[in-house]
Amino acid sequence: MLDKYVCLEKLASRRRDEIVITTMSVASPWARLSDGPLDFAMVESSMGQAAPFAMGLALAQPQRRVILLNGDGSTLMCLGSLVTIAQNPPDNFTMVITENRTYEVIGNYPIPGSKRVNFETLAVGAGFAHVQTIENENEFDRNLPLHFESRVAQVFIWKIKPATEPVPTPTPYIRERARRLRLALAG
Amino acid sequence: MIEASAVLEEIRKNRITHVVGVPDNGSRVLYEHLRSDPDIQVIPVTREGEAFALASGLFLGGKNPLVAIQNTGFFESGDAFRGTAFNMGIPLVMVIGYRGYESMKSGSEPVDTAATFFEPTLNAWNIPYYWMLSTRDTGMIREAFSKAAATSLPVAVIYPGEMI
Repeated sequence: MLDKYVCLEKLASRRRDEIVITTMSVASPWARLSDGPLDFAMVESSMGQAAPFAMGLALAQPQRRVILLNGDGSTLMCLGSLVTIAQNPPDNFTMVITENRTYEVIGNYPIPGSKRVNFETLAVGAGFAHVQTIENENEFDRNLPLHFESRVAQVFIWKIKPATEPVPTPTPYIRERARRLRLALAG
Repeated sequence: MIEASAVLEEIRKNRITHVVGVPDNGSRVLYEHLRSDPDIQVIPVTREGEAFALASGLFLGGKNPLVAIQNTGFFESGDAFRGTAFNMGIPLVMVIGYRGYESMKSGSEPVDTAATFFEPTLNAWNIPYYWMLSTRDTGMIREAFSKAAATSLPVAVIYPGEMI
């Protein structure tokens, strides 16, 4: 099992000008590492909609990579978006599913199918060309560069230990964060 | 009757780059026109809520999307609409088919609740909307874009029946 805090630190250390979209239990830890205009916490939004949102950004900004850090519960809430993305796959799109099998921010209540669901199978079945499950730190270190380099839309499933993050409360409000992101992308 | 070719022309005039949504019988012909247009990318989604998130990402990335769905899909989109396009302040135009409009007007029973719920929902959510009843009204799309730009919020264009 991976420690998400270590994974996020390593991801942040390699990150340059990529857009990073975060959700739920990853939003606050990522903001502590990076909280600029290209870091967008998909909070005060709509649970599950980070994946199509990130896809839209990736299609609009083909020269820039979009990295989505999506919870497993969030992924389940908009499962069809895997198919939506895979049918028009942006080459610059990296989706990470942080799999802890719980809704961490409400106290680690189990997600539906927590004992059975297989996200790799779901992503492969949706049509993604590159899908990889990462279970330990050695695998993570080996695959980290691919998060930034692959030339096809890709999904990584990070098998992480549950932690105790509370509900994230990013500032400023989402409308201002959206305005800030648009301005940054307009150059 | 609304000619899909006239709607497409209006969409082109407004420099739409992407049309996101789910086709239905009302918009099927429009979607067929769109699919053969080299300047507009059509992105089908599996449920309409995705359309609002996807279009919001496109807009923040510098593109000019339009959402085309049926009123039933609009109901499905409730939280996605609220949490993405509305909360993010996206000046998004959505063209929404008014399923059940004729049954409501004729007074026949049973009335399609997709119709009876529709305008009250638009009003409850404070969404401005324009009517497109015939080909002559396709300019309402332009009006909707002006309104959306002025308010930095989503605006609807609603139409009954099936485009030809």
